Amino acid sequence: MSDHLKLHTDGQSAGGDDDITRGLRALYAAPTGDDYWRGLEARILSRLTEASAPGITWWDELDRWMRPALVAAAVVLLASGIAIVRTLETDHEVAADAMLTPTPSSLPVETAVRPVLQEHRETTFRYLMTP
Amino acid sequence: MTVAIAYRPQLSPVSDAKRATEREYVIAAQRGSDAAFAELVRLHQRRAYAVARAIVLSHEDAEDAVQDGFLHAYRALDRFRSDQPFGAWLNRIVANAALDLVRRRKVRDAEELPETVALPFRDPGEADELRRRLSGALTHLTDRQRAVIVLHDVEGYTHGEIGSMLGIPEGTARSDLHHARAALRRRLSDVRSEE
Repeated sequence: MSDHLKLHTDGQSAGGDDDITRGLRALYAAPTGDDYWRGLEARILSRLTEASAPGITWWDELDRWMRPALVAAAVVLLASGIAIVRTLETDHEVAADAMLTPTPSSLPVETAVRPVLQEHRETTFRYLMTP
Repeated sequence: MTVAIAYRPQLSPVSDAKRATEREYVIAAQRGSDAAFAELVRLHQRRAYAVARAIVLSHEDAEDAVQDGFLHAYRALDRFRSDQPFGAWLNRIVANAALDLVRRRKVRDAEELPETVALPFRDPGEADELRRRLSGALTHLTDRQRAVIVLHDVEGYTHGEIGSMLGIPEGTARSDLHHARAALRRRLSDVRSEE
């Protein structure tokens, strides 16, 4: 029997099955009217549009902030680098200046010899010179 | 002897032309044309509804399953081979969406209403006694038997097509149909004998 031409006899009173088939067709009848189908079509398409529209989720939000965050991080790194370089340069300059600039310790200092020590030295000198 | 005949015409030049047009829509939709996909929705929504309605328990669930099915199809369109019949592919997807919906409803009903038995068929204008009795008899079928008998007797699908849609062998579809009919006949004759 062709699948396209089905005879619903099935070894039973065809009239009974015919009743069942009629009843089933009545129960499962699809809505009629083009308005209904246009409405369903619109709902299906609207659902597709909603589904294909990008929703805002936490990873979307994260993604949205990713670029500014990367730029900010790069700026912070650059600023830190510049600050470190400047600090190092300043340290070198200070060190060089410290080497070239006379320090207060090189200023002339008046020395005084303790009289006791001077006497002791002269005594020693005389002792040595004395034949 | 009365014989119920479910007849579907063989392919004609007109249906060949329709198939060619449909193929163009599919290819255009695969290239990103939403208008072409809208045409496919327009062409197939009635059939998709019928498939879903055979599986789920209410008109509202059928609408949900159709929408889910089209959404899945839209997302999986890249994987569809345009030399295949789009309708059969879509119906499988819609049937899966409907089966999934039935499973979810069962879980939800089991959690929320453990003592109630669902009355699946809303028929506010119940005038026909046979329809009322049939509604009652259908609740005694399994989900799959009900889907098979509706897809076969109401929508005219072949056993092979039904098997493909529901993910069961053709022989199982045939057997389900036989048992479903026998169960309905038994139930209806029980009611008759009680009257």
